[in-house]
Amino acid sequence: MKKAPTEYRRTMLQRYGFNFYDVFVLVFCVLFALVCIYPMWYVAVASVTPYSEFIKGGLMLWPRGGLDLQYYEAIFNTKSTLNSMWISVSKTVIGTVLSVIVTATMAYGVSKTQVKGMKLINLLVVFNLFFSGGLIPQYMLYQDLGLLRSYWVMVIPGALNITYFIIMRNYYSFSVPHALEEAAQIDGCTEVGVFFRIVTPVSKAMIAAISLFIAVLNWNDYYSYMMFISNKTELQPYAWVLHRMLTDQTMMNQVRNGAVSMGMATPPPPMALRMACIICAMLPIMCVYPFLQKHFTKGITLGAVKE
Amino acid sequence: MKKYLSLLLAVVMLVSVLAGCGGEKASDPTNAPAADGNGSKEPVVVTNADRKTVSIRFAQFGNSVDDIDGMKNDPIKAAIEAAVNVELEYDTGVDGFDDRMQTELFTGGAAELFPTWGETDKIAKWAEEDLVYNIAEIINAEPDRYPTLYKIINAPEYKAYNALYTGDAEAAYAIYSVSAFADPSFSGAPVYNKAILDEINGGKTPATVEEFVQFVKNCGANGYVGWWPRNNKLTAWNNVDAMIARPQGTTILAPMGDAWTGFVSNGKIGTADEYWTLATTSDASKEVVKQLHEMYVSGGLDSGLGVKGDFDDAYADFAAGKLASFDNGHGYPGQFVSFVKNPWQSAHADGTMADLAQGLALTHNGNYGSNYTTGTWIGAHYFIPTTCEYPDRVLDLVEYLASAEGQDLLHNTENYVYKSDVTSDVWNPINIAYGYQDGRCKYVWFSYLFSGTEYQVDFTNNDWWTAVSKPIDNSNNWQTEEDAAAYDYAKGVISTFVNEVVYYLPAYYNMITLPAEAADIRAKLNDITNQYLTQMLGGQLDIETAWPNYVAEYEAAGAVELEKMVNDAIAAARSNG
Amino acid sequence: MDKTVTVPRLPSYNRTPLNRFLAYIRKYWFLYMLILPGFICMAVFNYGPMYGIQLAFKDYSPRAGIWGSEWVGLDNFARMIKDPNFIRAFKNTIVINLKSLTFGFSFNVFLALMINELKIRKVKAVVQTCVYLPYFLSWVIFAGLVQVFLEYPSTADVGGVLNQIIMALRGEPIDFLKDPKLFQTILVITNIIKTAGYSTIVYLASLSGIDPSLYESAQIDGANRFDMLLHITIPRILPSIMIQFILQVSSLFSSNFDQVYNLYNNYVISTGDVLSTYIYRISLGGGGTDFELSTAMNLILNVLGLIVVLGTNKFVEKLDVQGIF
Repeated sequence: MKKAPTEYRRTMLQRYGFNFYDVFVLVFCVLFALVCIYPMWYVAVASVTPYSEFIKGGLMLWPRGGLDLQYYEAIFNTKSTLNSMWISVSKTVIGTVLSVIVTATMAYGVSKTQVKGMKLINLLVVFNLFFSGGLIPQYMLYQDLGLLRSYWVMVIPGALNITYFIIMRNYYSFSVPHALEEAAQIDGCTEVGVFFRIVTPVSKAMIAAISLFIAVLNWNDYYSYMMFISNKTELQPYAWVLHRMLTDQTMMNQVRNGAVSMGMATPPPPMALRMACIICAMLPIMCVYPFLQKHFTKGITLGAVKE
Repeated sequence: MKKYLSLLLAVVMLVSVLAGCGGEKASDPTNAPAADGNGSKEPVVVTNADRKTVSIRFAQFGNSVDDIDGMKNDPIKAAIEAAVNVELEYDTGVDGFDDRMQTELFTGGAAELFPTWGETDKIAKWAEEDLVYNIAEIINAEPDRYPTLYKIINAPEYKAYNALYTGDAEAAYAIYSVSAFADPSFSGAPVYNKAILDEINGGKTPATVEEFVQFVKNCGANGYVGWWPRNNKLTAWNNVDAMIARPQGTTILAPMGDAWTGFVSNGKIGTADEYWTLATTSDASKEVVKQLHEMYVSGGLDSGLGVKGDFDDAYADFAAGKLASFDNGHGYPGQFVSFVKNPWQSAHADGTMADLAQGLALTHNGNYGSNYTTGTWIGAHYFIPTTCEYPDRVLDLVEYLASAEGQDLLHNTENYVYKSDVTSDVWNPINIAYGYQDGRCKYVWFSYLFSGTEYQVDFTNNDWWTAVSKPIDNSNNWQTEEDAAAYDYAKGVISTFVNEVVYYLPAYYNMITLPAEAADIRAKLNDITNQYLTQMLGGQLDIETAWPNYVAEYEAAGAVELEKMVNDAIAAARSNG
Repeated sequence: MDKTVTVPRLPSYNRTPLNRFLAYIRKYWFLYMLILPGFICMAVFNYGPMYGIQLAFKDYSPRAGIWGSEWVGLDNFARMIKDPNFIRAFKNTIVINLKSLTFGFSFNVFLALMINELKIRKVKAVVQTCVYLPYFLSWVIFAGLVQVFLEYPSTADVGGVLNQIIMALRGEPIDFLKDPKLFQTILVITNIIKTAGYSTIVYLASLSGIDPSLYESAQIDGANRFDMLLHITIPRILPSIMIQFILQVSSLFSSNFDQVYNLYNNYVISTGDVLSTYIYRISLGGGGTDFELSTAMNLILNVLGLIVVLGTNKFVEKLDVQGIF
């Protein structure tokens, strides 16, 4: 079965050769791929290009005038930037572990629709995708719970991720071979055993995929900080620092002055620092991306399509 | 499906009720001050060290707290904490800070000591709703515990403000921070890059609006940006207004801040005939907007105008010689000095003040524009929210900072005399943390609490009003010769016109209060102006066709009513004061 | 929905409801335990704030709190309808979503079909790698990229790459980010670039599931590749397309706060301001503290959104696919 598509393609190729249709498909796909990837490449190249070269403009395909890492030095030598990276990493790790555990266990439980109450709970969860109390009630609730201006507001409220709950639930309902579960139960395995010994190993790929998604979500998140903390520098995540680098001069001046005090002759140009900052935000994502690409494709599609 | 939906709704209701009960309990009114108000009448002297250690969050507009380590290891903070036996937490912000303060107050989570910036009309509402403490009550109960504050709040001027806000002279709901500069301050005199001035204008500093507009356009035609009016946001029109609108007898500002902002006087200030007309949407303003648009189109006005984040770009551009003129915001000489240092000298190691030229305020038909000011103004008001359980302890902190001991600590003085021994171990860490290498204490945290201009205030030897309106300026103590020369030069230029552009309003203008409805109207008008000005300036709206809509929206939002409120409030202030 | 696990019959000797209930719980205690953390999270953080909805019908007094504030009936809604900024944001939200639905959605399907038709496997893999990537970058990063690419050249700066190209072709540079006419287009295009790749994953999965013998027999019948696309490929992935379509339609009234907040400015507020940014501005974002109005807007949005979702879900149920409920 697995070989079949390739065989089909080979016969197609033989019969039709490489015609106009194929050329169009190829050009279209490659062009769009370039549109997706070139901006990042451009920024990456520009961020290591000396400014005197950069302001000459033009399409940057390769660093001109040598590699220049001074902007990164400036960023990594600023305390608040470094601290924010640490916050981002820690909240990504804690938030992801918590979120995956809470979401996966709930999704598995709810996927057993034959058990009483699960259908109702499922409805209750999904309902939230479309109905919320609103920003102000949320703010007041966090105030009452003492979450406002605390680190945990960036981690706890998002523990149950409804979008991935739906995907995981569908996965457990349709993609975990029920015959396996039944066989195990007949063999005297309890529900606990089924979950830990049968279902969890089978769904490893899916869990890995969802973890990646949630981790990226956590790494990119600045919303919870902006809305519910907003003024504690020691808690700002890196995504927020980047936002500030793009829009707020106090943050920018911090980094620029820091660069001067560490020995740079003139404060580095803001645009160059912004680009280096963008790259720093992208880097962790780029690092995990290739390893998990395969997993996420599998995981997401298994959860989203009924087979 | 239907069965589940109805069940779902039932659960929503149930959870709502449960959560609601919890919420109500949490927001129950707490009246803490009464509990320990009478404790100090005993002969035993209770010091701060004997009192409970509490945590105080202090909110303040617009200072950077990005230096985490510097803040943590700050010896001044430690000294204050030790003296008052409290733990301090600092809270700041720029965008929407004022609204966040109100949001926090309304949701029961306000900082223990927090300000409003500008909008004094909130105070009546907050007092009425019982959201903030009447600090006079607490202070008057224990005069020995708060000697300085007792003196302050019982000053007749202080009571006049109390009466103004709440109608009750004896009830003080805030610590009023009064601002006064050593030199008069005004907007609308830029600093020029001399090289560009020489190239474009033969070295002549533009003196009239027409010359300036032409200069900016010529800059655009020659590949320079002519003017950056210090507006990193599209809401910052003040310098644009002061430069070209006011000399032409109008103002493009929406009513905000001061009661008279956006208004033009009939010239009879101080008499019973005085009248202010809202000029934001006048025909003269339309001409000004046209001029702006022309400058914008010619490339002379920075195209990054008002787009987020171009503030430091503008500094960089100026330093790089791409920008011909840069508005300094406040036209006092000290600002020229700092401008020479940053951005100019930080980009040009061999740069001197001679590379820059202090600009003139512009005239139109021989007239200068007026910057109306009372000389002093009420800056931030600092409040203690009723959700705070230990207002007495917060006042201990304020008392300490107002005392001679506290002021000496904050400003590196001894009995209000500057200590020239600046290399002491205490000061170095602070100077480095805040980026000031010149040996002074630039500890801005609490210096704004009493004086909006962060100068030192001496409550020991003066009454409240004298202390705050004549603050002590220690800045001459740290000036270098070079600084002094730049200062003298700028002052020399400014002195040729400063008396023409700074118009001192009578003292009763300090006492104007607008009714609560005015706040809503002003907010609306502000929003309308920001949107229209931006789009007309950038060419997204045609000025001729859009102007009638602009005027109509203004009227619909209550412009006429506001004009009446402002004039009534001024008349009321005049007859009271 | 098909269920393969059957509920074992409970022992019949104990028939009182309580005992039956307890026995049931005992049997499935582990499943109930599993959902407990999630359930608590949901009850507190998702249902907790819902009591605040009453703000929409009240005149909020901070001292009295939410419960103690006075009821004012539909006053806040009346205020909302009269608010021109609300009307504008509402209109923008719908127009942007419709544009996104028309262009973005069809582009995604098209892209998936094109990628599927790619013959060279290596190229296909590389293209997929490239187009999935932007999905993982935040809108903050994207806003930075947009700034870098679309910036208007000034005398102080060379301008963005796109404007450099335009000028190299001797065209007039365009001030993209300040033109209200272009702003919605920018939103739609950036959204396509960011999410198109991700959307194709689902389609590509269904496409790979198509039995190749179908194509072979079609080929024998003399069908060309376009015929096959039309008669074999598209019908097979129609269910997936429908689900994605439903998901898109159901968000007709919601707006992408992240995207708009990071890209808009006052120049383009006339076409760029959407409901989520407006609600943010009047509640926490520094444009006032109108709690009642923002809650009322949120409620209206939710109700409208829910109606659309329930309506569209009816259609999904008719198709033989797993909907969201």
